Amino acid sequence: MELVYSESRERREAAELSDSELAVRAREGDMVSFEALVVRKTPAVVSVARRIVGDGEDARDVAQLVFLRVWEQIARYDEKYSFNTWLYRIATNLSIDFLRSSRSRERAHGATLYLVRLREEETSSQTTGAVEESELTRLFQTVAARLTGKQKAVFVLKEMEDRDTKEIASILNCGESTVRNHLFNARRILRREIARICPGLLEGRRS
Amino acid sequence: MSVPCGTVRDRLPSYLEDALGAEDRREFREHFASCEACRDEIARIEPSLLFMRVIPEEVASEDVSRILSGVRAGIALAETERRVGRSRGRIRRRAGALASAAALAALTLVVPGGGPAARHPREAVAAVPILVAPAPGFSPVTQPATSGTFPADATIYDWNPGAASEEPRVVWIVDRSLDI
Repeated sequence: MELVYSESRERREAAELSDSELAVRAREGDMVSFEALVVRKTPAVVSVARRIVGDGEDARDVAQLVFLRVWEQIARYDEKYSFNTWLYRIATNLSIDFLRSSRSRERAHGATLYLVRLREEETSSQTTGAVEESELTRLFQTVAARLTGKQKAVFVLKEMEDRDTKEIASILNCGESTVRNHLFNARRILRREIARICPGLLEGRRS
Repeated sequence: MSVPCGTVRDRLPSYLEDALGAEDRREFREHFASCEACRDEIARIEPSLLFMRVIPEEVASEDVSRILSGVRAGIALAETERRVGRSRGRIRRRAGALASAAALAALTLVVPGGGPAARHPREAVAAVPILVAPAPGFSPVTQPATSGTFPADATIYDWNPGAASEEPRVVWIVDRSLDI
């Protein structure tokens, strides 16, 4: 009983610490702090992974790999830098790796077929407002299948996660001009794919 | 709405060029999220910005628990693999040490006649300062060996029945680092 009490007290204490403080404790071998970080950061990691890999179940698998990677590399964590940036770097890299795998390519292909069917079924009266959130999510995964992993990651981090260009450059370990190039190319490809796959979406706004 | 629609639409080119400051950018996005008219207008100019509206997926507490369990299992597996890897390395090293010890034992196991006068081949092999047991009797006869040939915490026991006995003299080598 004492052990349970003590453990839950440690968890309560851990919940009050900052990300960086928890990471430092985890680096010193404190598993309670490490697990507190996992619990705290899982929603953010799943969110970014979901947007990059395109599937909720895959995103949860990626999140698990992300935290295992964090645990493996926690000795290298330097508290002078943002824990979030470090975590996002791991999450983004693993998501891009996952996206490159044949499994995710197959899933993207399946999503494309779904969208083609969707377009055939829908009328030209479809407008931005008529597109439900879930359809918008599916549309994004379909059109974004044409992006490279880096382009998709930059678009997700910038436009959907609202991260600063400087931080994205740090996450992806590249220059800010490279981030902007990826962003502009991503937008251009997405524009083209939306017009190709879902022309009614834009025509409705032009009338 | 913090800023008027006209201001937001004026800021669009700067937003698209990634030239807005942090505060202007925040206002732009807040307005975009709450004003459908501006959303439609901006999406007409830059359709990819439609996806700014995609809401992040909710992560249920059961999912968090499942991920945490998976991470724990992954860590336990990695720890086990690491331990097994270390054990394998240790076993390889011990096997080498055992082979050396076995070679030594083979040389010294049976020393006919025994007795302090015998010059033991082990001295030549291991160059370990081995004290010879007072004959007759059984005794741990050495302190831990210091030669590279022996494991550091090996002890040699010497059964010396005495020169008069017909029994052979027997020497054991016990390596305490071997916990098998």
